[in-house]
Amino acid sequence: MGRSSDGRVTCQHPFYLRGEWYDKMSRPPDLVGDIVDGIDALLLFSPSGAYYERATDLDDTDVVVVATENAVGAEEFVELPLEFDDIRERIRFGVEGALSEAVVTDGDELGCAAPLFGEDIDTVTRTRADESKQSGVYDLFANSRSDPGVIRDVFEVVIELGQKGQKGKPVGALFVVGDAGKVMNKSRPLSYNPFEKSHVHVGDPIVNVMLKEFSRLDGAFVISDAGKIVSAYRYLEPGAEGTDIPKGLGTRHMAAGAITRDTNAVAIVLSESDGLVRAFKEGELVLELDPEEY
Amino acid sequence: MLAPIDGLTGPQFRSVLAVGVFFAGIVFGYLVGRVNKRLLYAMDVDDAVEGTTVERLARRAGSTTVELVAKFTSWVVYVVAALVALDVAQFSVRNPLWYPFLSYLPSVVLAAGVLMAGVLVGDKAELYVSERLRSVKLPSLSVVPLAVKYTILLVAGLVALSQLGVAVNALLVVLFLYVGAVVLFTLVATRQLLTSAAAGVYLLLRQPYGIGDRVAIGDHEGIVQEVDVFVTHVEAEDREYVVPNHLVFKRGVVLVRE
Repeated sequence: MGRSSDGRVTCQHPFYLRGEWYDKMSRPPDLVGDIVDGIDALLLFSPSGAYYERATDLDDTDVVVVATENAVGAEEFVELPLEFDDIRERIRFGVEGALSEAVVTDGDELGCAAPLFGEDIDTVTRTRADESKQSGVYDLFANSRSDPGVIRDVFEVVIELGQKGQKGKPVGALFVVGDAGKVMNKSRPLSYNPFEKSHVHVGDPIVNVMLKEFSRLDGAFVISDAGKIVSAYRYLEPGAEGTDIPKGLGTRHMAAGAITRDTNAVAIVLSESDGLVRAFKEGELVLELDPEEY
Repeated sequence: MLAPIDGLTGPQFRSVLAVGVFFAGIVFGYLVGRVNKRLLYAMDVDDAVEGTTVERLARRAGSTTVELVAKFTSWVVYVVAALVALDVAQFSVRNPLWYPFLSYLPSVVLAAGVLMAGVLVGDKAELYVSERLRSVKLPSLSVVPLAVKYTILLVAGLVALSQLGVAVNALLVVLFLYVGAVVLFTLVATRQLLTSAAAGVYLLLRQPYGIGDRVAIGDHEGIVQEVDVFVTHVEAEDREYVVPNHLVFKRGVVLVRE
């Protein structure tokens, strides 16, 4: 028995009333259980094997694993191309991936369990699968001309370039990925192509060494579907009519948006002025990342 | 051989000498085993044999492969020491009953070593190949790692048997037929791939055409999207031709300039 602040006696133990046991103490799961009450599917972000095993015992709830690799051998799996550090970005990617892969349907209530502060899952949130709110970020990786791995590699290069800059000064860069034949025909060289007769692919270890050089080159980098760096110093000449990108972005972003409208390529831009990494597809901005967060 | 020893010590000391030799052998064998174990651990053999059937068997017997190998070398030294001791004591080691066993001993040791190594390497190769094939989701490919394993076991077995002096000619013929067939079939099956790769190496080195060029290979005209070792991707209006590189050499390339 205890006495609360207003002087009433409160019962700290279960008590028996009208033939039933009542538990006065409400435990935390009762309070936050609403979050995952009545969900259609549970998205597990990078779960451990034991956690996934426990989750598969759930009745009438689909379990979808979202991770960089399917380490737990889940049946329904959405691959994360990047370790999105921003949890909101990661969940958005997972939901869009699950929608695109048709493991959840439009309008499903989704529970998401993800690691936020540590390695293990420590955060639970709820969202709704909404077809109309898709940003196309999953589409960017999964349904582009080039391999998801190539786009991921370019992202990694650009993010690293954004973190390092050149001698501490911010640099800008523009990578056009995929549909290289068409891109080459819609652009012209600004200078001799340093990648002429070379066979460097993004993701090769040597690319990290060349990063510093990259930041010095003007114009766009053209990268083929298979990830070969085809050319640097390219001046893009797409038709820019009808390109709709947010106001305030400069010529580099305009060129990136326009080339992806004209071709089936994807453009990944590192902004010199605000240091953000942006991705364009089909003339539209689909992803915005801060390299400092990776 | 023992005459000088006799001159030195006299026949009565021979048994003492023999006992000394035997104990020295035991100490030496133990040390060899220890050093061997240390060496094997230093060479990361314990990691290398992880997951093989030999290792699993050894574990079930409450030991590890490394320990077994070390013990095996120790025992070889013990046995040799015992034989030398017997010889020194002039027990009748040299009578005809013992001869075949004595002359056989090195071969048996070698054969056992080869067999052990063969089983280990075979297991390891099987693991490696199946690991590499894991991303290819084709169940019937599981035959390949097994084939690799048994080929290595066959070769190891043959070497071991020939060490023991068993007639292996018939088995050798089988092995040659088998290897010959594999090589022949691989050559026939991958002939196009090989010629394509040879052409692809030239194309990559000399780059007669590059990504973005408009070319015609045979009746396929379009913009080059990708050149790799085996194929060239040529994209026309609404179709993409994947042209094997040997066709580039066979038909020739037309570079189209507007």
